[in-house]
Amino acid sequence: MMALSDRPPFSSSFRTSAFRLAIAYCLLFTVSVSTLLGAIYLITRNVLANEVDNVILIELDALADEYDREGQSGVSAELARLRESWGRAGAIYLLVDPALEKRAGNLSAWPFAGVPKERWLEFDIEALRDGGMVRDPVRARVVEFPDGYRLLVGTEVSERRQFQQRFRAATLWAIGLTALLGALMGLWLSRRLMARVRAISSACQQIVGGDFARRLPVGGSRDEFDSLAVAVNHVLTRLDEQTMTVRATFDSAAHDLRGPLFRLRGRLEELQGSARLDAEASGSIDRALKDIDSVQRTLAILLQIAQAESGAALAESARLDLGELVQEITELYEPAAHAQGLSLSCDVEVAWVNGHRQLLTQLLANLIENAVNYAGAGALIRLTARARAEGVRLEVADNGPGIPVGDRERALRPFVRLSRAESAGSGLGLSLVAAIARLHEARLTLEDNAPGLCVVVQFQAARPEDAAEQHAVPPAAAPRVSAEA
Amino acid sequence: MRLGIALDARRRIIRVHLLLIEDDPEAAHFVLKGLREGGYSVEHAADGRDGLFRATEGTYDAIITDRMLPHMDGLAIVQLLRQQGCDTPVLVLSALGNVDDRVRGLRAGGDDYLTKPFAFVELLARVEALLRRKSGPQATTALKVGDLELDLLGRRARRAGREIDLTSKEFTLLEFLVRRAGQVVTRTMLLEGVWDLQFDPQTNLIDVHISRLRQAVDRGFNRVLIHTVRGAGYVVRDDGP
Repeated sequence: MMALSDRPPFSSSFRTSAFRLAIAYCLLFTVSVSTLLGAIYLITRNVLANEVDNVILIELDALADEYDREGQSGVSAELARLRESWGRAGAIYLLVDPALEKRAGNLSAWPFAGVPKERWLEFDIEALRDGGMVRDPVRARVVEFPDGYRLLVGTEVSERRQFQQRFRAATLWAIGLTALLGALMGLWLSRRLMARVRAISSACQQIVGGDFARRLPVGGSRDEFDSLAVAVNHVLTRLDEQTMTVRATFDSAAHDLRGPLFRLRGRLEELQGSARLDAEASGSIDRALKDIDSVQRTLAILLQIAQAESGAALAESARLDLGELVQEITELYEPAAHAQGLSLSCDVEVAWVNGHRQLLTQLLANLIENAVNYAGAGALIRLTARARAEGVRLEVADNGPGIPVGDRERALRPFVRLSRAESAGSGLGLSLVAAIARLHEARLTLEDNAPGLCVVVQFQAARPEDAAEQHAVPPAAAPRVSAEA
Repeated sequence: MRLGIALDARRRIIRVHLLLIEDDPEAAHFVLKGLREGGYSVEHAADGRDGLFRATEGTYDAIITDRMLPHMDGLAIVQLLRQQGCDTPVLVLSALGNVDDRVRGLRAGGDDYLTKPFAFVELLARVEALLRRKSGPQATTALKVGDLELDLLGRRARRAGREIDLTSKEFTLLEFLVRRAGQVVTRTMLLEGVWDLQFDPQTNLIDVHISRLRQAVDRGFNRVLIHTVRGAGYVVRDDGP
């Protein structure tokens, strides 16, 4: 069987329903054809056999009448005449007296020892044909006349036998060819079906992976696959429209909130810059500006959560080395953590994931900030990124107080702060982490670090077909266009 | 602190012409006022069509455009300008809510992207950076500010002839600042340019990095090279003896 590299191994095609269906049809087809051909064979054989028997019976009747009229000599003369004219092909005649001695006919001697009881007899004769002696089968019938004479009339049936054998062989060949053809046809059909299914499923995977403009292939043959593809494409277009609507909603919501904030900020900055303010007023303005920053940050996080939940952000995702990103962000946070008396370190290896760099940065930053805020002074915070066959595993572990098992699920909900004493953060940090993890089809779990909290984000393995995009991702250390002077 | 930047800008001999395309009158008022105080000559277009017309007809050193505009989207303006072969630096302002807006803005041909609301110093610093960039990238192998010398090939820094021990990241940070000597660099610009990160950290991460860099570069010297611009960011500058 031809093995194509982009196809799964042949054995896996046995498990597809298309293949099973093809096999079932092939079997049904073969059985039908066998039955049909078998019936024809049997009928033909019987017809041929009856024809031979009828000829023998008619001749036997005619000769018996002759015997009744003319006696033994009449039959002998008739047999001699028949021998002269050599009328029927393969005809065998023999008239014997009560002692089974030949009196007339074209057979040299009585072929049986004694008198057989069967009405129909089959025996072989030796005949000179094609320069050699061959044994030919003969079918015959015997009548006994009242005076003890016996007349045997038969037909040499070697041609009939040959015909039967050829017919049987042809039938078997036909059945075999039918089965083979059915199997090949089934295989071809099931492969064709699987190719269609595979095309659809690969298109679906790419759509789920963020290529929202992609549609399922429509072949143009208007078969059931095409109508399925058309229906799915219709759904996709609707989803796309909805995503656009969601995006437009985000945009107008953001616009309507950020516009006033911007004007407010402008007014405050203008006030601060222009008038001669006393220290108290200036301090108030500074605090107001800080509040605006904090509102802005919360707004940005809410927008990110909403966007991550809507899946719209996946369009910008690419293959990236999570290990490198973890190291980068750990190094960014390390001095600040060190200044607060915390130890922040990482242990990473090259770990490719398909992800949205900006959102993954936010995820890591939130996890580190969370650990810094809640683990307490002197805590050890350790980030690890490991590439495993089942996907990349990211861990952010601290040895702080941790989160009790019962509170862990609640900790992932928006605006939930577990510790009343701590007011750092908006209470959105972990829910943003959860939303970003969901967007990446990663599993987020809060585990016990004994003591402390270990946040685990388990990513799925990067799909091999994305490897080609690797060159499109700029190395993390390279400054972006906007920042290049 | 605004005054300091404004004075810097006024030292410019050639007057810089900017175009602001912004439909919100009040926002335009603040931006125009701030930029003019900064010593720039600014024209204002209140909608997309007018903005594109002026950008095509006039000659500007840089264009600042809002994204959501009547008649024409800010990104469409940038795309059309780029198609016409116009390479005037464009700073895109946006109040939109998508995480990928920045990427789209840069892909459309924008040179920098700023999300509203922003501190005015951030805008000034970025406009300044855009104008410097226009004067051409320095394909140089060495940089010098005062007695601080940077060997960009060997990635080594010396001050007053003495080698300064820096990590690779600290060198990148110092290089970024020295390349923009005399120019205010904000914390966000540092995050974007040195760390290639787009996010808004809760704590002042950059300050700690700068203070480490200061320990290495300025400690033990009378003249400080790395200055803090309150409320804005940092500037590397040799104030002279």
